Amino acid sequence: MEINPPQSIKCKAAVCRAAGEPLQIEEVVVAPPKRHEARLKIICTSVCQSDVTLWRMQGLPAGFFPVILGHEAVGVVESVGEGVEEVSAGDVVAPVFLAECGDCADCSSKKSNVCSGIPFRPRQGMPRDEGATRFTDAAGAAVNHFLNVSSFAEYTVVDVAHLVKVHPAMPPEKASLLSCGISTGMGAALKAADVEAGSTVAIFGLGTVGLAAAEGARIRGASKIIGVDLNPDKFEIGKKFGMTDFINPKEIGDKSVIQVIKEMTGGGADYCIECIGLASLMSDAFLSCRPGWGKTIILGVEKHGSAFSINPTEILQGRSIKGCLMGGLKPKTDIPLLMQRYINKEINLDDFITHEVGFSDIDKAFELLIEGKSLRCIIWMDK
Amino acid sequence: MEMKPIRCKAAVCRAAGEPLQLEEVVVAPPKAHEARVKIICSTLCHSDLTFWRMQGVPGLFPIILGHEAIGVVESVGEGVTEVAAGDVVLPVCLAQCGDCPDCNFQRSNMCSGLPLRPLQTAMPRDGTTRFTDAAGEAVHHFLNVSSFSEYTVVDVAHLVKVDQAVPPQIACVLSCGITTGIGATWRAAEVHKGSSVAVFGLGAVGLAVAEGARFRGATKIIGVDLNPLKFEIGKKFGVTDFVNPNEIGDRSISEVIKEMTGGGADYCFECVGSSALVTQAFLSSRRGCGKTVILGLDGKGTPITIDPNELLAGRTILGTCIGGVKPKSDIPVLIDHYMNKEIHLDEFITHEIGFSEINKAFDLLIQGKSIRCTIWMDK
Repeated sequence: MEINPPQSIKCKAAVCRAAGEPLQIEEVVVAPPKRHEARLKIICTSVCQSDVTLWRMQGLPAGFFPVILGHEAVGVVESVGEGVEEVSAGDVVAPVFLAECGDCADCSSKKSNVCSGIPFRPRQGMPRDEGATRFTDAAGAAVNHFLNVSSFAEYTVVDVAHLVKVHPAMPPEKASLLSCGISTGMGAALKAADVEAGSTVAIFGLGTVGLAAAEGARIRGASKIIGVDLNPDKFEIGKKFGMTDFINPKEIGDKSVIQVIKEMTGGGADYCIECIGLASLMSDAFLSCRPGWGKTIILGVEKHGSAFSINPTEILQGRSIKGCLMGGLKPKTDIPLLMQRYINKEINLDDFITHEVGFSDIDKAFELLIEGKSLRCIIWMDK
Repeated sequence: MEMKPIRCKAAVCRAAGEPLQLEEVVVAPPKAHEARVKIICSTLCHSDLTFWRMQGVPGLFPIILGHEAIGVVESVGEGVTEVAAGDVVLPVCLAQCGDCPDCNFQRSNMCSGLPLRPLQTAMPRDGTTRFTDAAGEAVHHFLNVSSFSEYTVVDVAHLVKVDQAVPPQIACVLSCGITTGIGATWRAAEVHKGSSVAVFGLGAVGLAVAEGARFRGATKIIGVDLNPLKFEIGKKFGVTDFVNPNEIGDRSISEVIKEMTGGGADYCFECVGSSALVTQAFLSSRRGCGKTVILGLDGKGTPITIDPNELLAGRTILGTCIGGVKPKSDIPVLIDHYMNKEIHLDEFITHEIGFSEINKAFDLLIQGKSIRCTIWMDK
């Protein structure tokens, strides 16, 4: 029995109370961590498209709110729950939306990164304590968690299966980038697609995930990295991450993106990566890859309920389609490898950070992303 | 030495869905890159049926169907050194030219030197036919083989040499359907030891998938078929469990398979050719690592609809031609496995008939009574 068990902490959090409404910085109470949990003091966090999607989604049940969003972050362990040995107070960690319990058949298999010990599901509370939250607001009402992280708060409670240890030499803001979007993009190139030197890669959507996929393809030595985006500014930005060619679908006249990619690659790209989340683009990506061995990787989350339609004749020509979460990476096993690569100066993370704000300006971070003006805006808790 | 045309019998298809007529045809000598082959025996594959029934394709008929066969080279065209008269060969619908980027790439079997065009009804390199009927009219080729004929002409890129010691009726079935099924577990899916496999459709291709999965060490092989008799038959080929979609009440096939496999099968194979079934197969595969392989050809071209979020959960879906197998490189490996008694193929052959009874083979397959019916040319 501990002499001084951890107490609840009062702190600030950006609470979302209604779809699309600006976040309110409020006082919340963060309960101590229970078994398998750790309470983190967030150092910095960033807004990822999935935060925006859920933030403005209409038609969610009333019980979804109030909620603390945010799932890309880095923090320091403040206290741990009973029986936790994996991390201890003072450790710098990145909380991640995807678990790696280390025990289940899927965690033990090299082929999967989808932990079945703590399955990835929409949930509003702690994964092992179904429905329970560790947040209450000033009126004592429960506030929901988001994607197992809830990083738009000075303190949060996360299950240890969702914590990745951060290399001491990693600057915290760079580590936080690797807790979601950039790992997803790089993972797609390095693991899900496993891009070989000399391959041709086409990337649909040049947000942070798409640009990270380009960076992954670059370090693998892809000979051609074609970016597809409606925003012409993305060409210059993309070049920083290895892009060699650019297609703006509005500037190719009567041709289709598929035709242009086939022309550029002599029949179709070796790998096509979809980074937006639109079934019609998934279809374009699929048809832009080469018969015989072309692989399409789907990273985007389709939010309109549209089905992805595949022509049987086209797929029977030897094409494959793979979808994945976090680019196929096992968080605890693989994210540290990306951190090491950054420390070794092999990957460019710095250019993903285009803005920085203090916690009280969190709404600015949302605006910048929605307006397409930022890649990643770091939100510092202590500013 | 000048080669002459040969007069012989062929089963000519003159209209969609009509019984085949045995007629006299004239088979021209082979040109450069070609060989004229005397067929020993041939078998009927579902794809023959699909094209036989196909309405609304201009210029398809008259056509000599058949693409699963074994024969002896009778003569070769100019410059052919790869095969010689007397060689036993399997004609295969898919080419392996050996020269193009796909033939040189380990992970592709889709030869781009001589790409497969299912509606191509002539010789692949010059677009002309080698068959004429009694009235002197051109008769079309089918899938680069046309084996429902005593003699046919095939491009050497489509020929696989076979050892004389292999029983011909066994080698014959490896020229398409059985290779597709076994090949899919090997090249397309790389089924691993201890895995779970679900096979949708227990025709020859599906049963061959089961046999291939068994050989590769899968420990649970679930067969899905509407015909309850297929369970007993399937057991001969490694099927361990059976699901009849008509006997699962309100539940979907994917629900049942997920239950049987603790979350989804590692590998799912669609061997019927129904886009709706492909969706079920896909949903039956395990999150994180599940692979769905499409082998069946949907004759109507109906699009396959996939829920992107189920894909995002870590599933893969892929399609191949003949299971991803490179014919010349890989079929001999399968033959070796058979000769070493590592894979069992004898039980695929359920019936035998002579050439004049060829329409019986169609009836047996349509009625679901046969797996493979060997059609002997010399009987």
